[in-house]
Amino acid sequence: MPGIWIFAERKDLAQELLTIGRELALQTGVKVTAIVTDQDDQADIYIAGGADEVVLLSPLAEDMSLDAWLPVIAAETKGADPDIFLIAATARGKDFAARLAARLETGLCSNCIALSRGEDGTVVMERLAYGGAAVQQVSCATRPVMATIPPRTFAPAPAEHGRSGEVRKLLLPPTSPVRILDRKIKERSSQDITEAKVVICVGRGMEKQEDIDMARQLADLLGGEVGCTRPISEELHWLPDDLCIGLSGVQVKPDLYLGLGVSGQIQHATGIRGARVICAVNKDENAPIFQAADLGIVGDLYDVTPKLIEALKKIKPLSR
Amino acid sequence: MPNIVACFKWVVDEAYIRKGASGALDFSAVDYKISDYDRNAIEEAARLKGLHGGSVTVLTAGVPEAAKGVKDALSRGADQAFFASDPSFSQLESSQTAAILGEIIRFLIPFDLIICGEGSSDQYAQQVGTRLAENLGIPCISYVQKLTIGEGGRILAERRVEEGVEVVEAPLPVLVTVLPEINTPRIPGVKDTLMASKKPVVAIKKEELLPVGAAPLQTLGMTATRMERNGEIFAATPEGIARFVEALQKRGIIS
Repeated sequence: MPGIWIFAERKDLAQELLTIGRELALQTGVKVTAIVTDQDDQADIYIAGGADEVVLLSPLAEDMSLDAWLPVIAAETKGADPDIFLIAATARGKDFAARLAARLETGLCSNCIALSRGEDGTVVMERLAYGGAAVQQVSCATRPVMATIPPRTFAPAPAEHGRSGEVRKLLLPPTSPVRILDRKIKERSSQDITEAKVVICVGRGMEKQEDIDMARQLADLLGGEVGCTRPISEELHWLPDDLCIGLSGVQVKPDLYLGLGVSGQIQHATGIRGARVICAVNKDENAPIFQAADLGIVGDLYDVTPKLIEALKKIKPLSR
Repeated sequence: MPNIVACFKWVVDEAYIRKGASGALDFSAVDYKISDYDRNAIEEAARLKGLHGGSVTVLTAGVPEAAKGVKDALSRGADQAFFASDPSFSQLESSQTAAILGEIIRFLIPFDLIICGEGSSDQYAQQVGTRLAENLGIPCISYVQKLTIGEGGRILAERRVEEGVEVVEAPLPVLVTVLPEINTPRIPGVKDTLMASKKPVVAIKKEELLPVGAAPLQTLGMTATRMERNGEIFAATPEGIARFVEALQKRGIIS
């Protein structure tokens, strides 16, 4: 049966998937089915966002892992045979999608950033490869066409009132051999660098953790936030990992990005492509960051940053 | 004592990819490496063997040139290697790789635990590990940052998810995919490299395997992303910094 299916473990992500799901559905005049967790009967939100059918999954017990739903969703998919199945690319979602694709013996475009239809109706999907150095275009020869979509790839679907749709519930799944013993909720950084207008990014050139203060001073001066490259958060643990910018971290789109001692490896550069102006301070004139930057200062960040702070202080008051 | 299998992929080192004419990728100057996170997978297998004994087998499917990677993997604490190679294995799709690895493991390698990197540094589809678990019909724990083999043949893992960490357990045999922060891969020394040459490698030819099915996902095109900007460079002198600040003002970043 033709149709577009979406599955997300969170409401905001389901709404993002509805945007692209509905667009694809309109092109061929098929229906959209949203599979979501049953949270106080929110089916109306998804119907208003473009779903023609909402499938509510009963909430999982504390110790149950999302993959407990695999057999149920696989059977549902086999039964309905949709054209396209989009899944939100959270950690659990990506794991779920790959296993579902294996069960359905179909292809899966991971971390898909764009979907369109070719002239012959083929769904063409885009994703990044080689650490972000390349855009790979793929199509899928089997049914359903599956893709995982990273958070914030599409805007949430606007609500359209007066739409109608069907709602059904799925029964509790069998248990998974994977049992959750504990959940540790991490403290989020108080700042959201994905929304910041100015991002000062700390790289490996920073020698000591306390030197991040320099970056923070600069960020405060410009009304921005501090982010970092992967080694700073993953290896040195100087900053929390939600401040890690790059392909496997967050993508930022500030007016100004300034990298201090950032070498600019492709995985990191991919995360800053959306910045309006990219600046870099690095003592290595051959650092790849200078290729990706609009403005660069070749010099030791320990020498340049204090001077830069002084120069900026002189031209205060700033716009913010 | 657990039999541990670590899977790896021999990939192009993306740092050497140049942008060719008309947006094509230029691979002429590339070097190859064991995919970054697969080094963590091998290291974790070696670490667990150090604690619990047992064996570490490394496994890959790739082009014949990947023999260099097999030797590299063996210098990282593995006991033996299984190497399926064919010139046609250069662009395997995730489902094809998972099918080949699954067939070899099922018929040739006794296992309690399989460790894969969370994704390869070339395609980063993050599917081979999970698909392999499905093919073998065993539980899968993805995105693991800490791994422990507990009492009674159970695995304990910290799995990283968006809102934090899930501590999970599952009965062996299990497949886990690991994040880079799980350990720091060793840098093999001369002695390790010499010893690696003496370790057994089971070579498997394409003809010995079931026919590799068609790839469901077809690559239509691969183009270089545009990243280059003007790249105006300033000196680290007071004048240079003053001009840098002026340039920021001109762009309306600061007033």
